Amino acid sequence: MLSAIRRFFKDKNSSEVARERMQFVLMHDRVDLTPDIMEGLKNDILAVFARYMEIDQSSIQVNLEQGKGYTALVSNVHIKKVFRKK
Amino acid sequence: MAGKTIVVTSGKGGVGKTTTVANIGTALAKKGHNVVLIDADIGLRNLDVVMGLENRIVYNLVDIVEGKCKSAQAMIRDRKLSNLHVIPSAQTREKDAVNPAQMKSLCAELTEQFDFVFIDCPAGIERGFKNAIAAADVAIVVTTPEVSAIRDADRVIGLLEANLVKETHLIVNRVNQKMVKKGDMMSVGDIVTLLSVSLLGIIPESEDVVVSTNRGVPLVHDRSSRPGIAYTKVAARLEGEEIPLDEDNGVKLMDRVKRFFMG
Ligand SMILES: Nc1ncnc2c1ncn2[C@@H]1O[C@H](COP(=O)(O)OP(=O)(O)O)[C@@H](O)[C@H]1O
Ligand SMILES: [Mg+2]
Repeated sequence: MLSAIRRFFKDKNSSEVARERMQFVLMHDRVDLTPDIMEGLKNDILAVFARYMEIDQSSIQVNLEQGKGYTALVSNVHIKKVFRKK
Repeated sequence: MAGKTIVVTSGKGGVGKTTTVANIGTALAKKGHNVVLIDADIGLRNLDVVMGLENRIVYNLVDIVEGKCKSAQAMIRDRKLSNLHVIPSAQTREKDAVNPAQMKSLCAELTEQFDFVFIDCPAGIERGFKNAIAAADVAIVVTTPEVSAIRDADRVIGLLEANLVKETHLIVNRVNQKMVKKGDMMSVGDIVTLLSVSLLGIIPESEDVVVSTNRGVPLVHDRSSRPGIAYTKVAARLEGEEIPLDEDNGVKLMDRVKRFFMG
């Protein structure tokens, strides 16, 4: 049982590994998010959030993720404080 | 009736472009079409030896574009098929000896006489690639089931789109079914899904390919050769025949899928 699980998670056959690696690589190649663009994107996202809440500027992460049949741009930002409505 | 200009390209070198041009071209000529094959790999002439025509060269592609000869003078007629011709590349010239506009005008002239003009593209995505794709109505991208070839194919497919080549098809070469079954080679289905492009053919890995190039006789002349049969099917598909793609592979394939991410 354990070996079956281990095989499932770790010892994937090499073609599966290749397929998953290629999904990732091709996605990044196609989007071509240069460090410059990434930096600009992060700053813009931070600016938008900052209008509504206090955020931890250093916590921002922006990543591409591959779902079944779609590609998502996922951003994570830690909230410090939400402004009270006036 | 104007013929079609088809470029065979890949990005990565050594994946089977020249083999593909020689065999599809020969297969179409065997079916009676007038075919000319242009070796656009300037400085690394190869198509002539694969076709077994190396000792007949007088003029070459660069001579034509420089006006040193007429295109008909540079064409070498195939040994077996009188309706099949090769325009050899120049062995001792640089890639910039030809430019995209010259390729366009040459192909425009050739499509008046020929049903199919094939262009054997050099590896890479620089000058030689741009020359080779300039005149193409259709592009055939060749890849093998290896990650580096697939990645380069994806880049080339993007560049073909950007350069407004209307139709792009994929050939997966050197497929080893035993390795696919063992899980040690990506299946053609996987590759087609990754690249999101229509599949034109699956060519098995085979020792026949080396024997054929040793002799300078394309595989499609041998009716019992598996890669030869696969190339003959590709030629039939280019003629518009519908031949199921999974019969030589045992994998269910989507014929045409949208690129999964538009960059
Ligand atoms: N299906 C195949 N099976 C075995 N060997 C192959 C196959 N296709 C190509 N080759 C070999 O791979 C090498 C490169 O092929 P070639 O057609 O010259 O590639 P390219 O023009 O893309 O550089 C040649 O030595 C050829 O014999
Ligand atoms: Mg070649």
